[in-house]
Amino acid sequence: MTIANTTETTTETLCEARNISHDFTMPNGSKLRVLEDVSVAVKPSEVVALLGPSGSGKSTILRILAGLIKPTEGEVLYRGQRVHGLTPGVGIVFQSFALYPWMTVTENVNVVLQAAGLAPEEIRERTEKSIRTVGLAGFEEAYPRELSGGMKQRLGIARALSVNPEILFMDEPFSHVDALTAEGLRAEVIDLWQPQDQNPSSVLMVSHDIKEVVYMADRIIVLSSHPGRVRTVVQNTIARPRDYRSRESEQLVDYLHEIITGSELPDVPVTTTRRPGMVEPLPHATTSAITGLLEYLDAHNGMDEIFEIAAATDQEFGTMISTVKAAEMLSFVETPQQDVVLAPLGRRFVRADTDERKMIWREQLLKLRFFREIYDLLRSEEGEVDAEVVHERITAMMPQEKYESIFDTMVRWARFGNLFAYDEDTDRVSLQ
Amino acid sequence: MHAREGVWGEATAFLERFRRIGWFDFVLLAAFIGLVFGLFSLAGEWRTLRPAVHIDLSPTALPVYVFYSLSRGLLAYMLSLLFTLGYGYWAAKDPIAERILLPLLDILQSIPVLGFMPGVVLVLVSIFPRSNIGLELASVLMIFSGQAWNMTFSFYHSLRSIPKDQLEAATIYRFDWWEKLRWVELPFSTIGLVWNSMMSMAGGWFFLMITESFVLGSKDFRLPGIGSYMSVAVAKGNVPAMIWAIVAMVLMIVVLDQLLWRPVVVWSQKFRVEEGANEQTQSSWFYDWLRKSSLVEWLNEAMENLFARKPSLRHEPREEARPDVRPRWSGLLSMILFALLIAGLLFGSWRLITILRQLSWRDFLPILRAGGWTLGRVLLSTALGTLWALPAGLAIGLSPRLSRIFQPIVQIAASFPAPMLFPLVIALLKAAGVGLDWGSVVLMLLGTQWYILFNVIAGSMAIPADLREAGRSYRLGLRLRFTSLYLPSIFPYLVTGWVTAAGGAWNASIVAEYVTFKGHVMTADGLGAQISLAAEHADFPHLAASVMVMAAVVVLFNRTIWRWCYRIAEERFSLSK
Repeated sequence: MTIANTTETTTETLCEARNISHDFTMPNGSKLRVLEDVSVAVKPSEVVALLGPSGSGKSTILRILAGLIKPTEGEVLYRGQRVHGLTPGVGIVFQSFALYPWMTVTENVNVVLQAAGLAPEEIRERTEKSIRTVGLAGFEEAYPRELSGGMKQRLGIARALSVNPEILFMDEPFSHVDALTAEGLRAEVIDLWQPQDQNPSSVLMVSHDIKEVVYMADRIIVLSSHPGRVRTVVQNTIARPRDYRSRESEQLVDYLHEIITGSELPDVPVTTTRRPGMVEPLPHATTSAITGLLEYLDAHNGMDEIFEIAAATDQEFGTMISTVKAAEMLSFVETPQQDVVLAPLGRRFVRADTDERKMIWREQLLKLRFFREIYDLLRSEEGEVDAEVVHERITAMMPQEKYESIFDTMVRWARFGNLFAYDEDTDRVSLQ
Repeated sequence: MHAREGVWGEATAFLERFRRIGWFDFVLLAAFIGLVFGLFSLAGEWRTLRPAVHIDLSPTALPVYVFYSLSRGLLAYMLSLLFTLGYGYWAAKDPIAERILLPLLDILQSIPVLGFMPGVVLVLVSIFPRSNIGLELASVLMIFSGQAWNMTFSFYHSLRSIPKDQLEAATIYRFDWWEKLRWVELPFSTIGLVWNSMMSMAGGWFFLMITESFVLGSKDFRLPGIGSYMSVAVAKGNVPAMIWAIVAMVLMIVVLDQLLWRPVVVWSQKFRVEEGANEQTQSSWFYDWLRKSSLVEWLNEAMENLFARKPSLRHEPREEARPDVRPRWSGLLSMILFALLIAGLLFGSWRLITILRQLSWRDFLPILRAGGWTLGRVLLSTALGTLWALPAGLAIGLSPRLSRIFQPIVQIAASFPAPMLFPLVIALLKAAGVGLDWGSVVLMLLGTQWYILFNVIAGSMAIPADLREAGRSYRLGLRLRFTSLYLPSIFPYLVTGWVTAAGGAWNASIVAEYVTFKGHVMTADGLGAQISLAAEHADFPHLAASVMVMAAVVVLFNRTIWRWCYRIAEERFSLSK
């Protein structure tokens, strides 16, 4: 079945999620909200990108739209009809390829068509065609383990195309592929999508790479995290074929950066934006990453743009944001716009010797309400409590957060500042 | 097939194929004909009623006995495989049933073969009173009880650990349950199943002497086979016959390894999931020959044509959305199965209680004391095994040359049913003046040390090269290297070895603590001896009580001490984090 994209259908949506919210159940039984009232629609003949840091639930949105996950609240529609179960007309390209290692290239595509109940001749034809389309001709009898990352993802794309999907779903498709190959593959996917008279009519992709979505998408849905919400939708009207290095592209990249960093690093001081009863959750950052960031800034005249730092230190953007947030909480840096500026205290810290660093660190920790509470708790219990007690206190202070991650960060930070220690054998936390 | 014209094309194609037939095809054909004759003789054997067959101790009779034993082992293995697929699939797919099925499997695993024996024998013999089928099936089921459980655990764990994205791909491309099983779940589980099958087959041989000849109350049952050959030889004190039996057993294991397991292991490499350079290239001459054989090729093609999916099976392409990939009947089926399971468990517990009510609490005291003794022996034999297997395993595993030489040997040694060596060892112990109270520890050790050795070898081969290089470059002495590198990195493997060895030792206690040698019985004070005695005297209350105590101790020990060791291994010494 081929869908011709005529002008009448452009107003209609192919696939849509309305007001979805989603909870994950944690191992300890508590609920973690990952999506809050998200609405996303894919229209015919467009490329839509979901852009957001880790924890924004973008892959979950994709899975809900595909019908793989049932949302806690809200509904999924396909051409205006409510969908129960799998959404029709969808092919997915997975981040880690999801190929079957015991099947050859041909077999990996074959089974999908066989499951679709096609006749053998048609299976043969379609398999051959989709393998040829993605440029894997000659590798028909190879096993996935014999293919490079880029070729594996070509096979993933061939498999998705073989079922002739109206919408091609792609979940961070190029993050496990080396940078140069990814650039080539992006152009090829756009080439596959562009002919208006054949499927896939639309592409929905999930990405955390801003340059990638600026290159590929017509519409960019920017998400914020914890829980995932739609922050804003950005139309991308840059004419195709696009160039990563054109001025328009770079401007849009900057604009998107600003939105993301602006949402993740509010310019107003962090502690005052929170309601009084709330405690700022600890960003998942290691002490060495924070120290590394300060060292970097010190070596770069005390300031740099956040994505420059991420690129120069070869870090994932989400990780970088956590690190900067952590440094900001400790008053080591300030973050006007998307810049990161070394604060005087940060400079003192980075130029101090180990002992002095630990002293400063300890002082800063005790200024944070979170550490203050745990510190007081320990003192009231003669300096030592079961980790279970700390667990309860953390859950009470920030019920929305993942306990393990917070506890882990707390222990790392506290150890560095000689504030308190955690003994794994006895499972107890004690003052130092 | 290439295009040829007319009738002659077909004929010449056939001739072409015929021309390529080699001597290996004739060997295969001969083997096949031999197998058919063998099965006829087996069927004849099963149909006649001979509860206690006369065993001919001459070596020329051995090949037939080996064939009988082998067919029982393979039949039991097929049963185990069927059981594994059914039970493992059920436990993995039905979250409610899973809560009962998994602990049940744990308990079943801890029940020694003699615990199953009376029930199985009495029921089956009464179903087939006029032929040996009942007795033969009972023997097969007893072998099954030594094979099935670890395979089932392996299959269940494989099903539960399939990568999420591979399952999502199967769902999004609308595989039905059967396609999912054939294309995703079975392939993913194959490697684990193959390794566990090899272990199971070895485990099934362990009680060969019991499963082929046993005494239940006043009745003496004996089936023709290499196990009963050995028991008769031992009863008569015929040392040459004992040695013949041991030789035949070793040969059988080697042949089975070369003709069955090696090829299967090589074939299963196709299902490897992990990639990377450290692939150990496995090879098998028999597998290579099979692949070259035109007879096998022809059979393969015939099978493929037979099983190829007919296009007419499904008329409509599946374009519509299917709300639930599960077929509608699956809910009903799992409900019925669950009801049957609960009913079976209730009936079983009720029977157990009525049997146990014949005992007073006072009867349990000696059983518990015996349990304490056996626990001590099990731990002692595990400790002794570790004492030698740890350094030996390290030496073998760390040297590629040694491991190439010793691994096949260790594998054969581990598959050999240790009880067949017991008579010889007991003779030695007697000469040295050691009684069975201590001697049984040595007998247990004989069967279970291999598990420790096996795992230590595997563990030391898995120590990352960079850690070893670091150790060498910092010039760590042997002692420091042992305590700071080798011991921590093989600890997880060592724990697995301990758990398997201790489990095996508990099982072995029923043959190690109660031995018939040259007509007189030697016993040690222990739970194994209690079980053996109760079974022999058909004292069912006592048997049930002692089996229950053993199962309870084993499960309790697994749940506490071994689980604790596993946790330490995982949290502290795991190399994957």
